[in-house]
Amino acid sequence: MLEGGKIDSKQAILLMVAMVLPTAFLSVAAVTASLAKQDGWISILLATLGALLIAWLAVSLGLRFPEKTLFQFPEVILGKWPGKVVAFLYIWWYIHLNVEVLRQYGSFLVAAFMPETPISVFMLLIMAIAAYAVRNGLEVYSRVNELILPLILVSVVILNILAAPEMSMKRLLPVFEHGAVPIIKGAVMPTAWMGEIVTMAVLIPYLNKAKEAYRIAITATLIAGFFMLITQLADVAIFGPVTAAWLFPGLDAARVIHLANFLERLEPVVMVIWVAGVMIKISVFYWAAALGSAQWLELKDYKPLVLPVGVIIYALSIMAHDSLLDLFAFLGMFWGPYALTLFIVGMPLLLLVVAVIRGQGGSRH
Amino acid sequence: MTRFVKPLRVRLFGRRKKGSGQDNSPKDLQKDKVFSDQELQNLGLSPDLQANLLQVREILSECSDVVFREFDFAQDERIKLALIYVDGLVDKTQVSDQILRSLMLDAPLVEQGGEFTRARAFMLIKKKLLPMHDLKETNNLGQVIDAVLEGAGVLLVNGHACAIINYSRGWEGRKVEESQTELVVRGPREAFVETLRVNTSLLRRKIKNPNLKIETMKLGEVTKTDVAVVYIKGIVNDKIVAEVKERLNRIKIDAVLETGYIEELIEDSPWSPFCTLLHTERPDKVAANLLEGRVAILVDGTPYVLTAPLLFVESLQTPEDYYQRWPVSSATRLFRLFTIIVSLLAPSVYVAIITYHHEMLPTALLLSMAAQRELVPFPVFVEAFAMEFTFEILREASIRLPRQVGQAVSIVGALIIGEAAVRAGLVGAGTVIVVALTGIASFAYCYAASMSIRLLRFPILVLAGILGLYGVICGVLFILVHLATLRSFGVPFLSPVAPLNTGGLKDTVVRAPWWAMLRRPRLIGMANPQREAEGLKPAPPPAGRKR
Repeated sequence: MLEGGKIDSKQAILLMVAMVLPTAFLSVAAVTASLAKQDGWISILLATLGALLIAWLAVSLGLRFPEKTLFQFPEVILGKWPGKVVAFLYIWWYIHLNVEVLRQYGSFLVAAFMPETPISVFMLLIMAIAAYAVRNGLEVYSRVNELILPLILVSVVILNILAAPEMSMKRLLPVFEHGAVPIIKGAVMPTAWMGEIVTMAVLIPYLNKAKEAYRIAITATLIAGFFMLITQLADVAIFGPVTAAWLFPGLDAARVIHLANFLERLEPVVMVIWVAGVMIKISVFYWAAALGSAQWLELKDYKPLVLPVGVIIYALSIMAHDSLLDLFAFLGMFWGPYALTLFIVGMPLLLLVVAVIRGQGGSRH
Repeated sequence: MTRFVKPLRVRLFGRRKKGSGQDNSPKDLQKDKVFSDQELQNLGLSPDLQANLLQVREILSECSDVVFREFDFAQDERIKLALIYVDGLVDKTQVSDQILRSLMLDAPLVEQGGEFTRARAFMLIKKKLLPMHDLKETNNLGQVIDAVLEGAGVLLVNGHACAIINYSRGWEGRKVEESQTELVVRGPREAFVETLRVNTSLLRRKIKNPNLKIETMKLGEVTKTDVAVVYIKGIVNDKIVAEVKERLNRIKIDAVLETGYIEELIEDSPWSPFCTLLHTERPDKVAANLLEGRVAILVDGTPYVLTAPLLFVESLQTPEDYYQRWPVSSATRLFRLFTIIVSLLAPSVYVAIITYHHEMLPTALLLSMAAQRELVPFPVFVEAFAMEFTFEILREASIRLPRQVGQAVSIVGALIIGEAAVRAGLVGAGTVIVVALTGIASFAYCYAASMSIRLLRFPILVLAGILGLYGVICGVLFILVHLATLRSFGVPFLSPVAPLNTGGLKDTVVRAPWWAMLRRPRLIGMANPQREAEGLKPAPPPAGRKR
């Protein structure tokens, strides 16, 4: 096996949550509010439903080949060369995903905290840590995540509670002001976010109990959906429909906290959440990309590929966008449809249908 | 003429006559020969006493502490005996009373009227005349030498190719005293000493169980130090014992003077700043660790005992936690966790805030800070680094300094470096406070962990100086990832937190009451997880039942 580690169901759930949540926590409200205004929370609910379907899709596909990852079973399903192409596209997708996440990460730190520091410094440090984690394997960063994620979730809840005095539920009204279409449009981006649960198809061979994969994927999606929902509700309840004007409403929500002349200026907490969470997120996709490349090239070990893949991600993310606005325009306009149609729904569905028709892989049990 | 020449010649070339005189000693006594272990093991004893003595003298030549006592058995000149021992390693009263006296004077009492022959004498000596607690017989010269050097008295009998080893050890050693480095308010006070046997007896006294196994081996090609592997069979994970023994057997080194030698040779991550084996001088701590399923390694000559596997949470634990009532212990543990964070991060967070994140301070505090720092000529990073460095100097000095000058150093340290430096405007008062707090916090938890954290404080300080809080967070993340990679004898260093084991959490940042800690740590004491009976929680008897 390329990756020797095995993780248990608890770790897998936490990992899948950490893979979705950290980036979403800061900016999901802005993305949905720009389309669905104050009805963003309905978009999130829709997105969670969509993500549940995607989770079901990915796990059904993965469980047909419990010994193989997303980068290996397309070959079985589609034949050698078409399969290789699909696997290659997935490797590309993981690299691209990481490029965008990394860029977003750096942009946030530059925009919100240290405008005079070059973005490459932020990205280099986090990539170094992620590379160290990925080199040490799945088990290691799962353990790190086990420490970090509960702290992140608790801090998110505490931040929202502390911001409660500034909230007003009236800002969530009226419901359905502009009808259903903006809400559905607003659901696209969060679905793409939560649809990253497709990574389950990479993770299944490394689970202690592969049978629990459905439970893992669904629990993780529900937890992620729940936290997205409360963040969305809180942010809109604080800022109203203008939430769309902020780049990082999560950060601004923390800025308004002002308690007893003592608890104020809680942005550093947001920074901690962001850095730690994104480190895990980057590690997961980085690991998937490195592991996928090794499996695609049929190597014995993925560790020699950690550095090259990391360099590619780092270089691409420096070149990818000219500015923060460029990045957000790209994510808002292009990313949702691109990721959803091709990688999150399209190809898994195609693979599953072909596998079912050709009767390949084990049954669901 | 010769009157002048002779002294000159002597001065120039030395006294040739005297020099050549030394060559007149028996030709087969080769003083310069170095005997290897292998050679010694292959040498046998001969029936001739004088030949044996010559051989032993040759091997132990120029060892002025070795005593060769030749005497006659029961005043009978036909039967010659010799006793070889190292002066200072044997108990002198035992040697003179129970060996020499009984062989020379008391023998006729035992065998009244009987005629002593050579053949009978040997049996008599072994069976009736040596009232010693531990006897052994050997016909191997290597073993004779080893026994002599270990502190045994070896008796050679003329006419027999056999030696009797009397274990009459008794050397000067430290008494069992109160622990100097790991203090408790409530709990046993004794600490290990330098003698292995005393240490094992301290453990045996605490755990009177046949399953407490003490396996010994010798390490160190030159020093031949006794090393004991101690564990409780039935509780310990057998794989860990096997692994410990395998790693110990791999060691080929000239000397093992302290458990530190062994620690560095058997630990899992030799490059890590964190230690993955616990060292302690408290028998109660070792006993508790053994009872949780750990393995202890004792080395002769040091009071420090290693136990493995080590978990990170153990740096939060002290023996006292288990003796005090649990609410107090839990609160203290949480507090200790806080001190770990303070001792790692306080200076760097201070530097980051003062340098980059002014907005985080309330305005009043910011103003007073700015007023303090107005006259300070250095950037806060340099200041903090210099103060940390100074504190490390003080700390190192206070360990090494002779006791008589202690007061002088503490006055200089406290007054000149603290007070005067602030008054002279060299450092801000804030920096002094933060550095002092860090220094004190670093002594509030396990000393070994505090050494590792002390090493890591400086890189994080540099990161804080360059990148502010972001640097601090990245440093901490890096440390977390590193901690997650560590394993101690197969057990993840961060367990039971990561990987999470809810039962194990009862003994981490909080200490659950004894009646609730039903099980041993999962990954360590797996062989026999049940620690106590269920339902021990004290409660008044149910109302229906009568006493």
